[in-house]
This record gives sequence, C-alpha cells and structure tokens, in this order.
Amino acid sequence: MGISKAISKSMRDSSWIRAMFEEGEKMKKIHGPENILDFTLGNPVMEPPARLKEELVRLVTSDDPGMHRYMTNSGYEDVRAEIAEFHSQRTGLPFTRDHIVMTVGSAGGMNVVLKSLLDPGNEVIVLTPFFVEFKFYIENHGGVMKLVPTTEDFHLDVGKIEAAITRKTKAIIINSPNNPTGAVYSDKELLDLADLLRRRREKGHRIFLLSDEAYRKILYDGVVLPDVFSIYEDTISVTSHSKDLALPGERIGYITASPRITNLKPLMDAMIFSNRILGFINAPALMQRLVSRFQKNSVDILDYQKKRDALYNILVEAGLSVVKPMGAFYIFPRSPIPDDIAFVRELQKHRILAVPGVGFGTPGHFRLAYCIPMDVIERSRKHFLELGLRNGKK
Amino acid sequence: MIVSGQIQKLIADQEGWTRRMFEEGIKIKKLYGEDNVYDFSLGNPDTEPPRELQKMIAEMLLNPVKGMHRYMTNSGYEDVRAEIAGYLEETHGLPFTASHVFMTNGSAGGLNILLKSMLNRGDEVIVPTPFFWEFKNYVVNHGGKLKTVRSMDDFQLDVDRMAAAITPRTRAVLLNSPNNPTGAVYSQKSISDLVALLNARRSRGQDIYLIADDAYRKLVYDGITLPNLFKAYDLTFSINSHSKDLALPGERIGYIAISPRIAEADLLVSGLMITQRTLGFVNAPALFQRVAARFQRTSVDIGEYQRKRDVLYNALMEGGFECVKPEGAFYMFPRSPIADELVFVRMLQQDERIMVVPGRGFGKKGHFRIAYCVPMETIQKSVEGFIRIGKRFIKR
Repeated sequence: MGISKAISKSMRDSSWIRAMFEEGEKMKKIHGPENILDFTLGNPVMEPPARLKEELVRLVTSDDPGMHRYMTNSGYEDVRAEIAEFHSQRTGLPFTRDHIVMTVGSAGGMNVVLKSLLDPGNEVIVLTPFFVEFKFYIENHGGVMKLVPTTEDFHLDVGKIEAAITRKTKAIIINSPNNPTGAVYSDKELLDLADLLRRRREKGHRIFLLSDEAYRKILYDGVVLPDVFSIYEDTISVTSHSKDLALPGERIGYITASPRITNLKPLMDAMIFSNRILGFINAPALMQRLVSRFQKNSVDILDYQKKRDALYNILVEAGLSVVKPMGAFYIFPRSPIPDDIAFVRELQKHRILAVPGVGFGTPGHFRLAYCIPMDVIERSRKHFLELGLRNGKK
Repeated sequence: MIVSGQIQKLIADQEGWTRRMFEEGIKIKKLYGEDNVYDFSLGNPDTEPPRELQKMIAEMLLNPVKGMHRYMTNSGYEDVRAEIAGYLEETHGLPFTASHVFMTNGSAGGLNILLKSMLNRGDEVIVPTPFFWEFKNYVVNHGGKLKTVRSMDDFQLDVDRMAAAITPRTRAVLLNSPNNPTGAVYSQKSISDLVALLNARRSRGQDIYLIADDAYRKLVYDGITLPNLFKAYDLTFSINSHSKDLALPGERIGYIAISPRIAEADLLVSGLMITQRTLGFVNAPALFQRVAARFQRTSVDIGEYQRKRDVLYNALMEGGFECVKPEGAFYMFPRSPIADELVFVRMLQQDERIMVVPGRGFGKKGHFRIAYCVPMETIQKSVEGFIRIGKRFIKR
C-alpha cells in the first residue's frame, strides 16, 4: 500500500463529501453550470482591492534587490513591526514585531501553533458546529479534539465548556465570525469564558485561547468584534488574508501572540521553529510585503451584507428556520427533516448545492456559502420556494 | 511547560552549538564590521532571479486575469502541471502527465506532505550521511524514524551499509544529489548498486520508495549529467524546488514529480491532496506556480557558481586541506585539521573572521561546511585566511 493508514482513513471518512461533490459536478454537466445554484464553496469570487493590485505591480517593478530571498523564519522584521503597530493601535496593548509570526494563511498558522503547544494526548476543545479542518490540525500533532456544542443560536455555552475541561485540556479554539454559522461572539460571553479559564489558571492549569480570525473584518450591521487580547491573557490569534483581501491562492496570514502571555519567549521560539520544520520555512515573501500595508483595508463588506440580506429573506420566505448571521459569508439553516444528507439530496433535485451539517459535526442543519454572485442568490429564490415548505408538504 | 516536549527536544538537539556559533558570529561582525567578516554559513544565495522571470511577473500583474489569486485544486493549476509534465517527459523520457505533478511550497513543503502521506508510525527512512539536518525533523514530524547510514570517504553511497540498515519497516530511501553539505553528485555506479539492492527487496515483496530531493539538480559542474533515477527505478519520487535554480527561496515554490511507473500514483495523489490541505499548505502560492511553469528550462548562471567553487577549492588545496571536489550545489565539506571540528570552526572565526558550519550539524563530526553562494569578492578576500590557517596544520 502506497499511503499511510491514517491518510487512507481520512480519505474514507471524507468519501461522502466526494460523493456529493461528484453528484454536483454531474448535475452541472447535465443542466449546464449556469443552471446550478452552487452554495457549497467558501471560495470568494471577489477580486483583491484595486489599490492592492497597484501596490503589487509597484513592488515587482521596483528594482529593490533581494525581494525574493529567504528571510528569518518568522517573516520580515519591518512587516511584522507594521502589523504589530496595527494591533497596538487597535487594542492598546504593547505588541511588537516579536509577537508576530508570518504564516502560510491561517491553515498554516493553526498547524504551527498546535504543533508548538501539544504533547501527545493533550486535548483541544472545539465548539460545534465547527470547521472540520480543525480536527486534522489537532490530530496532526498528536492532540485529541473534544467537541462541545454551542447554544441553539450558535453562541458559547460556557457551562458545557466547563464540563468538558479535563487536566489534559491545553487549548480551546474559537472561530468568530464563525464558519459555518456566521455567528459573532459577544463581549459578555467571551468574558464569561475568560473567567472560567482564569479560574483554572489560578489552580495552576493553563489553557490557551486560540482565536481563528480568518473572517475578522467581515462583520455586518455595525457589529464590532470584541478584542480577545484584552479579554484573556493567554490568547493567540491566527489571521488570514484569504477573505478580507481576497488572496486565498497566495497563502498569506499571521499568528499574533498576546504580550500578556507570561514566559512567552520559548513559545515564540517554538512557533518559529515549527514554521520551519513543518516545511513552510517562511510565508511567501512578496505577499508579506504587500499585506503589511493593507491591515486596515478589506474587500467591500457591504456587498456581502447585501447578499446575506437577500439570502436570509429568501430562506425565511421559503419557511426555513435560520439564525441571521452577523459575519463571515455562511448561513446555517435547520434542515426541515432530521436527516440533513437526505435533505441536501432533495435540494439537489431543485438544483441547489449545499453542504450537510454532519460535515460540521452538527447533523440536522445545512450550510450555504454566499460568497457568490448576487444573481445566483436571486435566482435561487424560485428554487427554494419550490421546496414547498410553507405549504406543509414536507 | 509552555511548549510541547517534542519541539523542545528537537530544538535542543541543534540549539546548543548553533546558537553559540550564531551569537559569536554576531559579536565578531560587530567587532570588525560586516565587510570584514566572511560568512560562509548560510545556503542563502545572493543571486537575483533571471531578468526574464522578473519581467514576466511584472507583465502578469500589469495584465491581471480575473481570479488569479483565488484558490485552485490542492495539487495546483492543471495547466501549470501539464506544462511541467511536458518538461519532465522531455528530460526523463517517461510519459509524465499533469496528474504526476503536484505543486508544493518548495521542497520542504513537498517532503513534509509526501512523508505524511506515506509513513505509518515507526516506519523507517534511510538517509546517507552527512545529511541535511531538516530531513530528521521532517521524518519525525510524521511519526517516522530516520536511519542514517555513513557514506564512503568520497561521499558516494555505501550500498553495503545501506543493505545492512534495511529492516521490514524500511519505507523509503531519501537521497539528495547534488548534495548538501558535500556537493557530491551520486555516480551512475552508486545509483545502479542502490537500485539493484532495492529491486532485490522488491522481488521479496518489500516496496521501498526512492525519494530524490532534487533541490540542486540544475547546479552541476563540468558538464556532468545526473543519472536518470526515474528510468533506473520504478518507485521514484523527485522533490523539486525553485529556491536555488530560479533564486526564489522566499516565495516557496516547488513540486513533487511522481514516476508514471508507480501503479498506485492516483491513490497517492489523493493522499497528497489531503495532507497538502490538512498540514495547512492548502496549495502552492498561486502567482509563483504560473512563474515556475514557464521557467523549467531556465536556471541562474551556473558558470558563476563553478568559478566560485574553483577559486575556493584551489585555496583549500593550497592550504593543505583534505576535501572532496564538489561536482554540484554550492557547498564544500572539507575535513577539519583538528579532530574536534568545533574547535577548528571557532579558530576560523576568531583568527580569520571566516564563518562556516561544523560537520555535526550534518551528522558528521570532524568536517565543516562552506556555503559558497556568496559574492566572489567575499571568496577572494577569504582565500588568504583559508591558506594561512591550513598551513598551520600541515605536518611535515
């Protein structure tokens, strides 16, 4: 056998995703891709901001030598300093370049942090519904994932989190704005979580808060994202520019460790080392220079908000039970029948492609990604209404 | 402890002396000024990418195509892979297609996803020493065990020793030719003997894969050609990087070439898709995939490296050093005139302001590595120092 047992198992486990994907592809062939309403992929159709593209041209046409060489594994010093300055302004905390590690997107960043933290058998708490890749990231480095459900409206259930903590708990991952629910955690619930973690800390048990902030700038209705660094001391955030600057293919993001972490130096050294030995070596050089100048920018959020509004209204009109997302570009309605895979198949009959909730550890729901052209959303109205849920057919 | 036990141990394995060397180096640079210290410690070329390549990047960005920075399939753009497959077919004479090419974040990324896809806990990977230390970290990352095997005195493969190192858990042999740190290029004989050994195991039912780290494959001197590993052995992977040949180390671009003779290639690619994604690479950087596709037949100026090798090698000979003449890459690995090479490396620093890496950093004490991917001026200025210190040890 050419491949490892663990990887064969992962391939088998994800076989239903492949099956659904292939059914979708088949439908596109039969009906033409323009007649299929594909809500499955979190791959934005947006282009990077125009000013960013101009800056990229300026960078590559400048005659500065050494633009494509290796640099220190944590990334360019001036780039990290610029990003640290952005965080200091935002949080009022004394971030310096030594708190930043440039990474290959947030997927790279999560792997680096987890490899640096986890001993075999250490537990990491993940809240459901969850981005399924977290499981791989944790298991890659010998950790064990402990799933804890959120509340009905997808917010933190601190009581359940407390019950799930054991002596082996090393970290808890939060992702807000959330994939797949679009939920944004409030100050209040994060403060409650911090209180819980701090109580453990007083007993000598240190638990890290690992904040996946891939969608941090995609927020609606004027909502402000709480600053987790001010809320809890042992906080590490992982950021990506795949969504806010629409650069997913270029793989650029960074890790930020709180200046309030005591004994931080060995942790930073370990993360820089992990970045090297996991094979990332450094985040792509050209993109580092580019994104440092665009920390305050992002793609057009209002455009996403309009899409959210349109889709949310359609779903409500179609009789689906759904929590209104406050960020990211996902919505996670309840499936009208308990078997979400069966319901997603039913949606396929109406030419709508969605991902079943079981793929996010929460059966009985399904995910729609609306980072797609507005006209697809508008055209989907007819198809959602055809489900006939309002008339009590199902 | 704040960090994991494994990371702590891996850092400690190398930290002791590297850190000391590094800190002493900084002190010396401060004392004498950067220009008066000759730093041969880093394999970080000072060359720029070829002009045409820089022009092409600018043209691509001036005429942007919609979606050029988006995600693509985890293995990379199909047209990029097809173009590279064409080059591989032409070079190796085997029917490579797009599905035999997997775009990666340099060779470090390529090795990590390949090893993760292949290794079960406790599987062994054989590496000839001296070796690039990172190989150990990569193998350990994914639950494997590195088995090091001494090379011959001329740094060619010692196939008898390799045969003795094979166990039922041996999964792969990892070769790096042209070699870091020795500059050796494995001869046709080294390769044929190794292949005979691997085929013998195969006929007894044990498939051992040959993984070739080809990061330096275009940097060969004196017109020699590399043995064609794909033709020589069926179960071969080649790990490629454009850090050296196109001088793009910071951009992290390379690829895995999978032999069309591997029957389970499709299954392996499915595995690589998962490890590429779950290890966090997701895909090789989009922009530089397109660049790499068009420059497979290009390379930085090899003649320049060869001239640097010659100047340095002649100086070492004049100083009475024992050194195997490198045939590729940009490294030399002379024997230390003092058995404990740490002592000698420190003398070089203190007395001649020359910085090199002790051989133990490559699993071989009693030697030191010179990386000569530095300006010719630095080499010329260091020549006297090498000769002077060498002559102190010549026994009459």
